[in-house]
Amino acid sequence: MSVKIPATETLDLPQAHGYAIVVEGLRKSYGSVVAVDDISFRVQEREIFGLLGPNGAGKTTTVEILEGLRQADAGRAVVAGIDVLKAPQKVKSRIGVQLQASAFFDYLTLAELIEMFAALYERPIDAGALLRRVGLEEKATSRVKTLSGGQKQRFSIATALVNEPRVLFLDEPTTGLDPQARRNLWELAQAIREDGRTIVLTTHYMDEAETLCDRVAVMDRGKIIAMDAPATLVGNLLAKGFRRRQVEREANLEDVFLVLTGHELREG
Amino acid sequence: MRNPLLALTITAFKMYLRNRQVIFFNLFFPVMIVVIFGLINGNGNVSVSMGVVDNAHNQVSQIVLTQLRQIKAVRLNTGSLDTERAALEKGERDVVVVLPASLGQGPVALPAFYNAGKPQESSAALAIMSRFVDEASFQYAHIQPSFTLDAQPVNSRNLSYIDFLVPGVIAMSIMQTGLFSVAFSFVAYKQQGILRRLMATPMRVPDFLMSRIVTYLVMAVVQMAILIVLGLLLYHLHFVGNIAYLIIVGFIGAAIFMAVGFTISGFARDEGAVAAIANLISFPMMFLSGVFFSLSNEPGWLQPITKVLPLTFLANALRSISLDGASLWAVRGELLGLAVWLVIALVLATRLFKWEVA
Repeated sequence: MSVKIPATETLDLPQAHGYAIVVEGLRKSYGSVVAVDDISFRVQEREIFGLLGPNGAGKTTTVEILEGLRQADAGRAVVAGIDVLKAPQKVKSRIGVQLQASAFFDYLTLAELIEMFAALYERPIDAGALLRRVGLEEKATSRVKTLSGGQKQRFSIATALVNEPRVLFLDEPTTGLDPQARRNLWELAQAIREDGRTIVLTTHYMDEAETLCDRVAVMDRGKIIAMDAPATLVGNLLAKGFRRRQVEREANLEDVFLVLTGHELREG
Repeated sequence: MRNPLLALTITAFKMYLRNRQVIFFNLFFPVMIVVIFGLINGNGNVSVSMGVVDNAHNQVSQIVLTQLRQIKAVRLNTGSLDTERAALEKGERDVVVVLPASLGQGPVALPAFYNAGKPQESSAALAIMSRFVDEASFQYAHIQPSFTLDAQPVNSRNLSYIDFLVPGVIAMSIMQTGLFSVAFSFVAYKQQGILRRLMATPMRVPDFLMSRIVTYLVMAVVQMAILIVLGLLLYHLHFVGNIAYLIIVGFIGAAIFMAVGFTISGFARDEGAVAAIANLISFPMMFLSGVFFSLSNEPGWLQPITKVLPLTFLANALRSISLDGASLWAVRGELLGLAVWLVIALVLATRLFKWEVA
């Protein structure tokens, strides 16, 4: 079920206009292990693009190369107009990064951390306004360790927004969150996209990818083995005659949970 | 606050000052050591309250009294036998000595009364007294004594234990701050993914390192100031040092131990490992480097080792500067030793410090 890369995906980079990310022939190996094996894809401006795949598929390595945190062995990658392989440091000022389970300094308040991050980009910031944007205005003088899981992830996204990034990378943003907090975070991601930003999301939750992503790329063993809109990928599978052994009911246990406990966000 | 280095430094200070554990170990712990050791050892000098009943009123007794007044350790009182004995019984005198009328006219017995509860002070006072009486008699009679006791004062500056201790504790706290603060915080930053998150911003690594180094250097100066002021206020610390020299030597010491801290954070996997390694380095050194006790008390085979430890060089240099008013040139031996250690520590740190978790 491999996807043929259409001809438009191999255009020369100067013609990459309108794309937030252009990746061509990207490779990265660690010793004899090929982590990223000649992948190519494009992400349009204001798109929410999902990178899916089992652990060890190469998602994290790919994302880290795009974030300027890791050097690729070969290929080209342009993120927010910057050639990442040539200027990995420069791309950092145009993107925002929410790392999986990233921690922040102890002994600083949320507002102080936001101000520190803004200073690293040498930008002015209204910390209160940014915290309000992610629903944490009342926590401005609290410390990170007093936040709930969902609040921590929202704060993490706030730190990734201090530089008004063109591209936002979210790495498993809802892992470990309760259903209410997950939905809350999805709404935040959609609102960020409405601001005109592009989002690259890695996740293990297929419902999350289906809800949020305009397109997804499925990676396995360092290669992209499928890439399209979620509905199209599902349609293709059904067209091949795939049927679930047991037909899904109209509702599932998560619906039961949400009807019982309500959609309202709970904070610890 | 749009300057990254400034912002990082300010936040580093805030984090330092809000961390109670760090404040305890870096500021209160050294202060506690000085206060407690200072209390245990008193002011180092025995001070005697002496009452003299002068029944002689002659030249010899005048000489004795004049000389007694010149001794710092003696608080001299004169009066009648009754008033002095009464004072002795109330505990206001340690010893009362009677100078009989026959003083200066051949061998004489000095009646003395002393406080049985203060044998040390009393015997010191009596020894001083008999010596002065002898000398005064010889002087008066123009007789050369067949021998004189040539007692050289060991500490001509009247240094007390606290004078020895304070520079040592300053050296110790510089070591602790460098070693533990750097190693603990960097291992934690790496473990918790804080460094990775910062690396995803345009932050420059030298800015980050510099913000931490500046913080710890300033805190080293604060520690120094607190300990010196404490010594001056509580224990009449004998301090004649040039503050700039102290700070320069303190910075060199701090740089060495920070580099060791970076080295440890390069290979320690977690904070438990940091604690073990840093204690293994610092604890023996605290006792082998003459922080609390003079090195001469240690067995001979150990002395070649203790002499070249970085903390020994640091403590000795700080001591010479603060107690003797030594110049940097005067402590060039110690500075050379520190310079060698600085090179070693920097080489280790640049080789072993890793920005990423292994």
